[in-house]
Amino acid sequence: MGAPEATHRFHVGDRVQVKHTNPAGNPRTPAYIRGKSGIVSSLHGRIDNPLDHHGVYPPLCSVLFPVGEVFGGASRDTLSVDLHEDWLAPAGP
Amino acid sequence: MAHDTQAAHGHMQDHEGHVLGVEADLEYWRTKRLEPRVLHLHRRGVLTLYDLLRAAAHLPAPPPGANEAAHDIEGRIRALEEGLDDYIRGIGLASIDPSEHPSVIEDTRKERGDYDDFFRIAKPHHDGTLEERIARLERNLREYQRLLQVLMHALLEKGVLTAQQLERQRAFLAGRGAWNGARIVARAWVDPAFKQALLARGREAVRELNIPPGRLGKLGVAENTATLHNVVVCTLCSCYPHDLLGDPPWWYRDDGFKERVVRDPRGTLAHRFDLRLPESVEVRVHDSTSDVRWMVLPRRPAGTDGWSEEELARLVTIDALVGTAEALLPAALARNER
Repeated sequence: MGAPEATHRFHVGDRVQVKHTNPAGNPRTPAYIRGKSGIVSSLHGRIDNPLDHHGVYPPLCSVLFPVGEVFGGASRDTLSVDLHEDWLAPAGP
Repeated sequence: MAHDTQAAHGHMQDHEGHVLGVEADLEYWRTKRLEPRVLHLHRRGVLTLYDLLRAAAHLPAPPPGANEAAHDIEGRIRALEEGLDDYIRGIGLASIDPSEHPSVIEDTRKERGDYDDFFRIAKPHHDGTLEERIARLERNLREYQRLLQVLMHALLEKGVLTAQQLERQRAFLAGRGAWNGARIVARAWVDPAFKQALLARGREAVRELNIPPGRLGKLGVAENTATLHNVVVCTLCSCYPHDLLGDPPWWYRDDGFKERVVRDPRGTLAHRFDLRLPESVEVRVHDSTSDVRWMVLPRRPAGTDGWSEEELARLVTIDALVGTAEALLPAALARNER
């Protein structure tokens, strides 16, 4: 699989925002996380998964979001969502 | 434009990926799991190469690969993958530890060259066209299976293993699933090098336990600590490392669970699963939205010092593997099994 870093546009620690829509992208980004901002926590590279889908999706990151920022409330617990880079844009600090 | 290119070559790329996977797996199981064991048995005089020759003389020669050429590429690749699975299951059967006291750490690590390149068994080159590579794999797999067949025969003939032990192992391997997860966790508790490999490389690491690593994307392992508790969900469908761990708990597919656990992880654990975590512990929900299939590595319960791997594995439930429970405490295990 090689070092995933080489294929990635983002780095661990980057603040990113999930796009609201992405007609060209695959449907693996759940609705509740669209438009939200989080921090990239790990990089998985391009993953070959021929049993699930043909072709290879863009590089995949785990992104951390505080539950409170996604759904409101004071919770400091976190959601780790695996998102392909074509769904992500850089976000301000 | 990039998308068009990818679509045009999608099918071909797919075959290539499958063949690459079979090449890598087949060589791993042969050079790391089977042949070091054969050498180990020979060196210790448990089962010598001469025993193998004798056993081979009693076994009819394998049929030539009669209808392989008749298949299309896809059919041949699928047959290779099934043959590989058979081979892996066979190695699992042949790898019962005949002694009364199975060692915690695999005793062929040295023989297979984990510590020293000098001991490593050479692997063939996988060059050539796709057709040539498939033909080579078909030939190799036949030969590898032949050696395995001879080994099994010799183990029985010489009484290293009994037919009953074999039957028990066969039943055990058929009933695995969640038990695989428990064995993976127990090994990670007792063997720091294994744990590190598991966290870093996922599926690749579990082959050491004679567990077929499966092929559904990448395995992610989320480790619980004193300050972090992980839970796994898939809000889009029900992604789970099925191929490795068997079925998740029934409610894993329940939309009510999915909906609640992302909105209120701590409350869901407390009210639905009676797992109350202190404020000092962060709850992290892993939504398995794409090609990483997650499992939780629970914490080792207190009061289990000196336990064997097998005993430790009994503390790991399917709920602990998705993080809606912690591993059982020794007292709870005693209650359950009474």
